[in-house]
Amino acid sequence: MRRSRLARELKVAWAIAAKDMKIYYLRTPSLMFGILFPFSMFLSFVIGRNMPISRAIPVLVAQTVFFAASTIGPVSIPMERRLQTFDRFLSAPVSLLTVLLGKTIAGFIYGVGISLIPVVLGLSIFNSQITDLVALSLGVALSAFGFAAMGIMFASLPGQGPGQVMMPLNFVRIPLLFVSGVYVPVKDLPSWGQMASAASPLTHTIELVRLGLGGESFFEPAVNVMILAVYAVVFLLAGMRFHISNQKRE
Amino acid sequence: MEHVIEVSELTKYYGDFCAVDHISFNVEKGEVFGFLGPNGAGKTTTVRMLTGISIPSAGWAKIMGHDIRKQSVEAKELMGIVPDTSNVYTELSAWDNLTFTGQLYGMSKSDREGRANELLEMFELHDRRHEKLEDYSRGMRRRVCIAMALMNRSSILFLDEPTSGLDVQSVITIRELIGKLNHEGLTVFLTTHNMEEASRMCDRIAIINHGKIAAIDTPEMLKRTAEGLQSVEVSFEATNRDIHDELARMPGVEETLKQGDKFRLYTDDPPSVLSEVWDYANRNELKLITVNTHGPSLEDVFVKLTGIREEPRKGGGRGMKGQGRGRGVNR
Repeated sequence: MRRSRLARELKVAWAIAAKDMKIYYLRTPSLMFGILFPFSMFLSFVIGRNMPISRAIPVLVAQTVFFAASTIGPVSIPMERRLQTFDRFLSAPVSLLTVLLGKTIAGFIYGVGISLIPVVLGLSIFNSQITDLVALSLGVALSAFGFAAMGIMFASLPGQGPGQVMMPLNFVRIPLLFVSGVYVPVKDLPSWGQMASAASPLTHTIELVRLGLGGESFFEPAVNVMILAVYAVVFLLAGMRFHISNQKRE
Repeated sequence: MEHVIEVSELTKYYGDFCAVDHISFNVEKGEVFGFLGPNGAGKTTTVRMLTGISIPSAGWAKIMGHDIRKQSVEAKELMGIVPDTSNVYTELSAWDNLTFTGQLYGMSKSDREGRANELLEMFELHDRRHEKLEDYSRGMRRRVCIAMALMNRSSILFLDEPTSGLDVQSVITIRELIGKLNHEGLTVFLTTHNMEEASRMCDRIAIINHGKIAAIDTPEMLKRTAEGLQSVEVSFEATNRDIHDELARMPGVEETLKQGDKFRLYTDDPPSVLSEVWDYANRNELKLITVNTHGPSLEDVFVKLTGIREEPRKGGGRGMKGQGRGRGVNR
């Protein structure tokens, strides 16, 4: 009985994800904040600096998974709240967790898909090599899920459009780039910076991706995996809490 | 009688503002229950709480015995909802909208496709089922929205202002459909601010104003509560006289209301007023075009209970919009 209920909830989550893929993947805000933004930020930091390509590819992979995965929720949920299509989920016989899981899966697939572009580019053009497939896969997958859940959490902020959610989200996303060892390796950061970077989920993304593509990690890979998994759960549950608060308030 | 909806002390606060104020009522199986009230009275907020979209501040509601908060999945499986705006996915086709709704309700592929075909035929949308809804008219989107609410073969259908803003043909089609579905056993919870619609379609009506229920009864019983509101409706051939003021001063006339080229004279004694009107027309050589007598309408009951009227009336000092007639009823 419980198993059939779980299977049904998972099917509904997948249906929501598939619907979101169809409607929101090619929307202008998704393309702008999910693809254009990380690629252009990457280029603006890399061009003119003498960064070896072996260091640059992991940065681009981490940055794309970070931005792409966390963009779909903040695009879809505010639009659906404005058009009241989100009410369809709230009045459907499924749990709120299932609805948010569906939305998270849509962000997860977007994040993984976009981050594969620099991986493939690196392998095919810049002679990058995958030295630890498990680390790379876990790094991309866990990060995509966690950042998608982070986007869902921010999307629960009351607002009428994606722009109103993107503003506070970018207020968090952009500073995270500078404390997460993306452009300056963690080992080169001052001690307070290393502490801050340990708390940032993006640090653990770049660590695992670097490890997967032949680089070194500052923290133990198991620590990276554990912290990313904890963040994914925390973001999802926090998003759920915020949505329940909205239901009480609205 | 079997209660399919039970509501007790249901309350909703938005900050300090009380939008729905401790309302209680029951809806019987198979009836069309109207929720009538002006804009901002609390109709939509009530529907949102009953369908699990919004969480009540206090009180409880049960759908066929299932508490909407504690057994929300079981309760939601039994209902379909048509909100005040057609919340369809305009980027998707009618077919995709319906089958996606079927997926939300956990229907199997064959079941949801069969049901989608059946509903698209019923709503005369089958030929255009693969077109995106952005190419549909507002009336067609409304029909898709209602079809989506029926996908799960619900026992209770919540309709929030289903005909608001639609053309006459769409209104007629949708009213006929609702009647047909109710005839087939569906319980309908209908919110509207359209009194004619409520009077014509509902078995019972609750009148809500400022978040409180002012009266609940059948349309005819509600009209009886306003028996003193009989009226005589007259119209004259065009003249320069100030007929409105002169009619208002006529013996037996309590109030007058101008409705286009007609005047409605409210009175407790229609025969005497008819006689006065006849004498007045002869005396002033006016040609009467129309003479009708009316019993109290649902609109009269609504005005009496809520104090909200559509046009100002003359006479008796009670003609301001939004001011009550001061004879409230709570049955």
